Amino acid sequence: MILANYLVAVVVFALGLYVLLTRRNLIKIVMGLSLIESSTYLLLLSMAYRHGSTAPVMLNPQSGQTEQSLAHGNIADPVLQNICLTAIVIGVAVTAVLLVTVVRIAQHHRTLDADQVRSLRG
Amino acid sequence: MNPALLPLAVALPITGAVAAPLLSRLSSRASLIASLIALVGPAALLATFAPAVYGGRLSGHALGNVGPVRGAELGITFTAEPFGLTFALLTATIGSVLLLYSLSELGGLASHEAGWYACLTQLLLAAMIGTALTADLLNLFVWFEVAALASYGLAGFFLERPWALEATFKMMILTNLAGFCVFVAVALLYSGHGALNLGQLERSLSGGVRTADVVALGLLLTGFGTKAGLMPFHGWLADAHTAAPGPISALFSGLMVNLGVVAIARLTLDVYTAGRTVLPAILMVLGAASAILGAALALAQDDLKRLLAYDTISQVGVLLTAVGAGTMRAVTGLVYHLVDHALFKALLFLCAGAIVHATGMTRLSQMGGLARHRPIVTGAFLVATASIAGVPPLNGYASLGLIHDSLRAEHPVAFGAVLVAQGLTVAALGRAAYLAFFRRRDDDYDPLERMRPGMLIAFGTLALGCIAFGVLPNLVVSHIAAPAAAVLLDPNAYATIALAGSTRLTLTVQSFDYFAPDELLISGACLVAGLLLAFWYVRRSKEPIVVTGLRRLHNGSVNDYVAYSALGLIGCTFILLAWRR
Repeated sequence: MILANYLVAVVVFALGLYVLLTRRNLIKIVMGLSLIESSTYLLLLSMAYRHGSTAPVMLNPQSGQTEQSLAHGNIADPVLQNICLTAIVIGVAVTAVLLVTVVRIAQHHRTLDADQVRSLRG
Repeated sequence: MNPALLPLAVALPITGAVAAPLLSRLSSRASLIASLIALVGPAALLATFAPAVYGGRLSGHALGNVGPVRGAELGITFTAEPFGLTFALLTATIGSVLLLYSLSELGGLASHEAGWYACLTQLLLAAMIGTALTADLLNLFVWFEVAALASYGLAGFFLERPWALEATFKMMILTNLAGFCVFVAVALLYSGHGALNLGQLERSLSGGVRTADVVALGLLLTGFGTKAGLMPFHGWLADAHTAAPGPISALFSGLMVNLGVVAIARLTLDVYTAGRTVLPAILMVLGAASAILGAALALAQDDLKRLLAYDTISQVGVLLTAVGAGTMRAVTGLVYHLVDHALFKALLFLCAGAIVHATGMTRLSQMGGLARHRPIVTGAFLVATASIAGVPPLNGYASLGLIHDSLRAEHPVAFGAVLVAQGLTVAALGRAAYLAFFRRRDDDYDPLERMRPGMLIAFGTLALGCIAFGVLPNLVVSHIAAPAAAVLLDPNAYATIALAGSTRLTLTVQSFDYFAPDELLISGACLVAGLLLAFWYVRRSKEPIVVTGLRRLHNGSVNDYVAYSALGLIGCTFILLAWRR
C-alpha cells in the first residue's frame, strides 16, 4: 500500500521535472516547481509511516493509555511530519515570491514566454 | 567564552532585520545605522570566542539545553570550532563593511526602500552565520532557505530593471530545485539513521554507508553545489550577480557562494568523511572543470560584473578541488583561500559597482581611461586583481601556494587544471583592468559623482585586508587556517562537539615558505602566461571557437539551466552509487 505512495511521489516528481524542462510559459514553470514540491511532501509523509501505525497525536489519551504508552506504541514518525510542515510554510512563501516576479516580468515584457525573456546570456 | 552565547550571533542580525523596516519610518539612515550595530555586535561576540577556539579548545551548545540523551540529539546544537568561526567572523565583518558602503552609495534610496534593503541584507548574513555555526542538518536546510528567500529579494531589489527580474526568476527556479534536493536528503538521512545532528550522523555512518545515504549525498551535493555555483549547477549565478546592486553582488560573490562551499566541505570531510564515498574524486573533477571553464568564460565577457561572476565560479572550482584533495595542506589552503576570496572578490565587485554607479556604464567596451578619473577605484581594483593573480606580497599568493603545493605531488592532473585556470584568471582580470582603466578613450565622461567617505572606508578596509592576509601568511596559517583544517579532518572531534560536548584539538604545525623558489616560479609563470594571453585576447580579430561554444551553452534559457542541474544530479548520484567504497 505504502509502495503506491512512493511510486506516485516519483511520478509526480518526474512530471514536475518534465514541465520544468519542456514548458516555456513562466506560470507553467512555477506550476512544475509546485508539482515537485508536492511530490517531496508525499515522499516525506510516506517515509514517516510505519506498518499499521496511527497518527502521532498524544494529547488527551483515551482511558487506559498514557502519553508514554502512546509514544512507545505504533505511531507515525512525528519528526518527518514536522519537517514537512516547515517545508510547506516555506513553499507557500517561495511560490508567492515567484508569482510576484512573474507578474512583474509580464508587466515589463508583455509576455510570459521564457524564451522572450533571456537578455542575460553568454 | 560560554558557548551558550553563540545563538546570539544569529539572533542579533535577525532582530536587526525586524527592526530595520520599522526604524526606516524615522529616517532612511536610521535603519542602516541600526543594522550596522546589529552586525558589529555579532562580530565582537564571535571575536571573544577566537582565542580559545583557535587555541584548540572546542565546545558545543545544545539550544535551550535540550541536551543529548544517550548519544541521541533531536534539538539544535551550535558549535564553537575554528572553521565555522572563521566563516562566521568573516561574514559579520565583511557584512558590516558592505552595509557601510551601501549606507553611502545608496544614500539616495527612499526610506522604506532603505529599510527593506537593510532587512534583507541582515537576514542573508544571519543565515550565513547560522550555516557556519549549526551542527544540525535540518537547521542547515532552514538557513539555506532563509538565505535563498533573502537573496531573491536582493537580486531583484531594483524591480524597475527588467533584467533584474529575469535574473531573479532564474535564480529562484534553480535555488528552489536545490532546496528540494537538500530537503529530500535531510528526510532520507533522518529516516535511515533517526538522526539530524551531524555528529550523530557521522557516528552512525561509520557503521557503513547504505544506498539511501549515498543518494542523499548526491542530493546534498546538488543542493549546496547550486548555492556554491559549482558547474554544472551554476546557471543562475552569473545572471544574479550581474543584476544585483554593487554591494549586493559583493555580498553574493564574496560570502553567499561560500555558504555552499562551507556546507559541502563540512559534509564531505566531517560527516561522510573522505574514505567512505567517491565524493572527493567527483569534487575534484567538477572543481577542476569549473575552475577552467569559469575562467575561460570570464575572459570572453564584455559586461564587467558578469566577468567577475564567472571568475567566482572559477574560484569556487579551485576551493572545491582543494576539498576533494582532502589533505591537511590542501584543506589549510582551502580555509585560507576562502577568506582571501571573500576579501578580494568583495573588493572587485565594489569597484565594479562604484564604476557602474558613477558612469552608468556596465560594458567594458564603453569604458576606458578611468584611471585618470577614478584613481582610488583603480588602485583598489589593481590590489584585488594582483591578489587574485597571486602576486607575492598580496594574499592570493599564499593561499594559492598552499593549494598548489598540496596538489602537485599527488594529483598532477588537478594541479595542471588549477594552473591553467590561474593563467586564464590573470588574463581575464588583466584584460578587464586594461579595458576599463588604462585604454585611451577619446570622448570625455559626463561629470562623475564624488566618492563618499563610507565608500572610501570600505575600499580601504578590504584592500588592507588583502595586504594584511598576504604579508602575514605564517600567522594566518598557524593560528587560523591550520586549526580550521584540523577540525575538518578530525570527524571524531567534530562529532563530540556537535553532540554538545567539549574537546581539545591536537594542532599540527603548518607553515608556509614564502620564498620557496618553485612556488615563486609557478606564480611568475602563470602571471606572464596570463598577461600574454590577455594581450593576445585584446588584439584578436575573432573569438576562439571553444569560447564561442561555451557561451552558446549559456543561452539564458531557464529550461536549459534546469536540464544541466538535473543531469548533474543524475550523473553525480549514479557515479556515487556505481563506485561505492
